[in-house]
Amino acid sequence: MSEREQIHNYLVALNRYLSRLQKHEADDVLREIESHIYDAIDEQEKRGGKADPASVLEGFGRPRELADSYINHIQLGAPPPQGFAAIKSVKRGVSKALYYGMAIFGYAFAITLIFTAMANLVYPESVGIWSYSGGNSIVIGFFENALPESDELMGFWYTPFALVAGYCLVRLTKGIMDVLKPNLQVNQ
Amino acid sequence: MEKNDTSHAKWDAQLRKGTLELVIMAALQKGAKFGLELLGFLRDYETMIISEGTLYPLLDRLKREGLIDANWQQEDNTRPRKYYELTSEGKNRLTELTSRWRQSVRDIETLLNAK
Repeated sequence: MSEREQIHNYLVALNRYLSRLQKHEADDVLREIESHIYDAIDEQEKRGGKADPASVLEGFGRPRELADSYINHIQLGAPPPQGFAAIKSVKRGVSKALYYGMAIFGYAFAITLIFTAMANLVYPESVGIWSYSGGNSIVIGFFENALPESDELMGFWYTPFALVAGYCLVRLTKGIMDVLKPNLQVNQ
Repeated sequence: MEKNDTSHAKWDAQLRKGTLELVIMAALQKGAKFGLELLGFLRDYETMIISEGTLYPLLDRLKREGLIDANWQQEDNTRPRKYYELTSEGKNRLTELTSRWRQSVRDIETLLNAK
C-alpha cells in the first residue's frame, strides 16, 4: 500500500467514526490531522530518514479510538454554553421528537410574537395584552373585536416588546438546538 | 531495572493525566503554537511526552471550554496550520492552576521533609 493510500484510508475511517460530530467540526478535525501527518512526514524526510506514515499514524491511535476521544468529551466533559446548564442532564437522551418538538414550539411562538408585533401597527385596536379579573389573568392575542370589560395594557409599546421577545426566543431556541444536535445524531 | 522503568512510566502517566491541561496551557503562554510544534516542544520535557492521539482531542476540549482559541494560518509556501493560543479566560485559568500546582508542590515538599 502506498504512503498516500495509508493516509487516505486512515482519514476515511476517521471521517466515518466522526459522523456523530457536526459536519463542519468533523471536516476541521480531518483537515488538521491531515496537515499534521504530512508535516510530520516532511520532518522525517528533512532529518534524512525515510517517510514512514505508519509511525505517524500510530501516534494518533486507531481511527475509532481517536474519534471517541473527540466525541466523549463533547457528550460528557464539555459544559454547555452559559445559561444552558439545566439541559445538560437531559441532553444525552434527546430524541428526534423532543428535538423537533422544541424547534417547532420555539420558532412558532417567536414567529407569532413577531407577526402580532407587525399587526399591532395596522390593527392597534385588535392586538395587544389584555388584563382580566383585576390583573389575575393576562391574554395576549389578535382579536377581531377588542375584548370587552378589560384594559389593553401596552398600546403601541406592544410592538417593540413583542419584537424583542420574539428575537430573544429565536436566539434561545437556536441555542438549545445547537446544544442538543450532536446528541440527537448519536441516538439516530 | 525493567520493573523500575515500568513503575516510572506508570507514575509519569498518572502525573500527566492530572496535569495535562496545565501543561498545555503553560506551553501556550509564550505565544500561539500548532499541534506538531506543541508536540515537539513537549518532547524536550522527559515526563511530558504525549502522543498525537492525546493532544488533539485535548486541544479540542480546551477550545470548546473557551480556554484556548484556534485559527488556521498559512505562511509562505507551507501547508495551512491550525494555531492555538490562550484566551483571556485561559490565562486566568492558567494563573489559578499555577497557584494550585505550586501549593501542591509546597505541600508535598513539606511532607517529604517531615521527620
